[in-house]
Amino acid sequence: MIDGPLALLGGPVALQIGDALGQFLQPRTLARVFVDGLAKAALYVMIAAGLTLIFGLMGVLNFAHGSLTMIGAYLGGAILVVLVGGGGPTTLALFFVTVVAVFGLLAAFGGLLEVGLIRPLYDRPPIYQILLTFGLTLVLDELARIVVSFYGLQPISDWQAALGTKPPILTQSIGLGPVSVSGLALFQIGFGLVTVLAIYAFLTRTRYGLVVRAGSEDSEMVDALGIDVRRVFTVVFALGVGIAGVAGTLLAWDATWGASVPLASETLLPAFVVVIVGGLGTFRGTVVAGLLVGLVDSTMTWWFQNAIEFTGLPEMTIFLILVITLIVRPQGLFGLAEVGGH
Amino acid sequence: MIVLFALYPGIHTLLTISPVGAEAVALLPDVETMTAVLYFGLFAMSFDFISGYTGYLSFGHAAFYGAGAYFVVLAANGKIPLVPAGTSFMLLLVLAGLAALVLAIAIGAVSFRLSGVYFAMITLGFSQVLYVFVRGWNYVGSNPRDGVFVTGERGGFEIGVPFIDSLNVAIGQLTGDEIEGLLGAISLSAGEVSYYAIGGVVVVCYLAMQRILHSPFGRVMVAIRENEERARAVGYDTFRYKLAAFAVSGFFAGIAGALFAGFQRSVTPDDTFYFLVAGDALLASIIGGFGTLVGPLYGRLFDESVREFLSTAGAGGGLLPYLREHVPADVLATELVGGVTVQGAIEAFLNGHASLYLGLLFVLFVLYVPNGLLGTLRNRLGGTVASWTARQLERRR
Repeated sequence: MIDGPLALLGGPVALQIGDALGQFLQPRTLARVFVDGLAKAALYVMIAAGLTLIFGLMGVLNFAHGSLTMIGAYLGGAILVVLVGGGGPTTLALFFVTVVAVFGLLAAFGGLLEVGLIRPLYDRPPIYQILLTFGLTLVLDELARIVVSFYGLQPISDWQAALGTKPPILTQSIGLGPVSVSGLALFQIGFGLVTVLAIYAFLTRTRYGLVVRAGSEDSEMVDALGIDVRRVFTVVFALGVGIAGVAGTLLAWDATWGASVPLASETLLPAFVVVIVGGLGTFRGTVVAGLLVGLVDSTMTWWFQNAIEFTGLPEMTIFLILVITLIVRPQGLFGLAEVGGH
Repeated sequence: MIVLFALYPGIHTLLTISPVGAEAVALLPDVETMTAVLYFGLFAMSFDFISGYTGYLSFGHAAFYGAGAYFVVLAANGKIPLVPAGTSFMLLLVLAGLAALVLAIAIGAVSFRLSGVYFAMITLGFSQVLYVFVRGWNYVGSNPRDGVFVTGERGGFEIGVPFIDSLNVAIGQLTGDEIEGLLGAISLSAGEVSYYAIGGVVVVCYLAMQRILHSPFGRVMVAIRENEERARAVGYDTFRYKLAAFAVSGFFAGIAGALFAGFQRSVTPDDTFYFLVAGDALLASIIGGFGTLVGPLYGRLFDESVREFLSTAGAGGGLLPYLREHVPADVLATELVGGVTVQGAIEAFLNGHASLYLGLLFVLFVLYVPNGLLGTLRNRLGGTVASWTARQLERRR
């Protein structure tokens, strides 16, 4: 433990860093850190994708995104606990059933939210949408807390029953050449990759995606072409909320996240960081920023576990990435300068 | 409007000994809560000063509140260089404000290159960096995650005129002074002394901020909010104005944090630097009236009243103890739906879940009362409450 800011520069720590550097540069460590980083990146992109879709088209910065992810985690966990019961080889198939169910439920909920609450605010300054969704998080978090304590699902710590539904294949380590990787990390990477490809295909290969992209460029013009932009808004909001729910379901199996009420702010802040670093509203930027944040995060986590002892710093890393990016490139990696104006 | 606060303890005491005492205890926040309303109200005002008047949403404003609070506790523990442990609290208040001001200039200089959502996010980023840093920094105390408290023999912090003992009173939850027989008639409990002492500082800060807003400088702030490009075209260096306004706001946020630390004698990262603390200030500002300086104080009063009214067992009473005592047992045991009794429903939905109702109220305010309590009142009266009162008095003469 260090005693003051100056000790960071002091002697004994520097010696350790030299040793640690040698260890870090070994191929085995590098590969491990890389795979961990990819797994983290997959989760970050999953968490942030819905947020960036919604902002890209509608310009609404959805503060309730974290709460919706948290609700997805509980909902997914609950369905898994009911479906899986004893566990078995079909668990993975059941997981995908759960994902579809959670996506459907939350997308429906998101559609309702857009029509009921956000629609009246389009004529007001954008600050009011932030305020409204911020109020929404308070309500959703507290409702979740009431329900969770009513059924006694461990209000503060992670929900063990949902973690327990994980199939054994994901808890084992799988050997990939010289390095062994946890099955869960590989599953997360695969899941994240499929989701990113699906969203990308939706945006670039389908007709509706074309309308969405046009709408984010100039919604008035799209409206003038005879397309009901309001309905597109509702659909995209529903999609974004649904993806948040899917991300939550994926997190319910990960012991470092897990289903809990504080998950709302634990996911909201990284989602913001990823979205802002990538450039608000650009999907490509979000994916790149997710990779960046995930890899830096896993690298820094390794360093702080092995060389530098400062308890809080791994959590600090991603906010440092945010601050540094905004200082160097205020509009984000892939953002356009004029988007920052509103 | 701020005058009403001076009368509160007296009214509260009168009502609690009156025939409607039980209802008053349940409904009204007690003096201790009101003290919290005062210092947090000052923080909310400083948030409104920058966000409500220049239109830049400072989502990391908790950083300045936390800086002020930690400054006082660290200084009292003798951990700040050049500031000895026995420094008078009034001096500490100013120093804490200045520390927050320096921090605000550093953060503002970088952040004001951005606007809108990006500004909100970068300030949030800075405050989260500080939050995590303070949470892990062993220098502040042996267990930084759980916060630090004032160690040493020191009694309550004293507020008053520096170097004149008779004009100083100690504040604090358990350590404050009591005053008996002032002017032959007035006796104040320790809680009430703290209330008035902290209230005095808050009023001075409020008047200072109001003075700034009504000066030409304040007009430029509003011009930036209304149309920044036009303000720049007229010839104002808007960056400097924004930065100065941010620094002033940080200064008063630091003082608010220092008052909080002085009263509570302990701070934790979660109730100072955490971003939801700024969220609470936002809540107070919206409910009270965004862009009305005193509004956030009333917004916070509203918040705290609802919170205490719905708390598990608030010191000043609340709905739950009142219902437990006054609702007949057979009503409580009645089944509603599916085996849930009235008692169960009350416990599930009222027990400490004030945030739910505050959130609902907040959403309703954003949708239907965008000007907040005081802003709406002002629109009704056609001006500030003070000018309306003056006009009414003029008419009656």
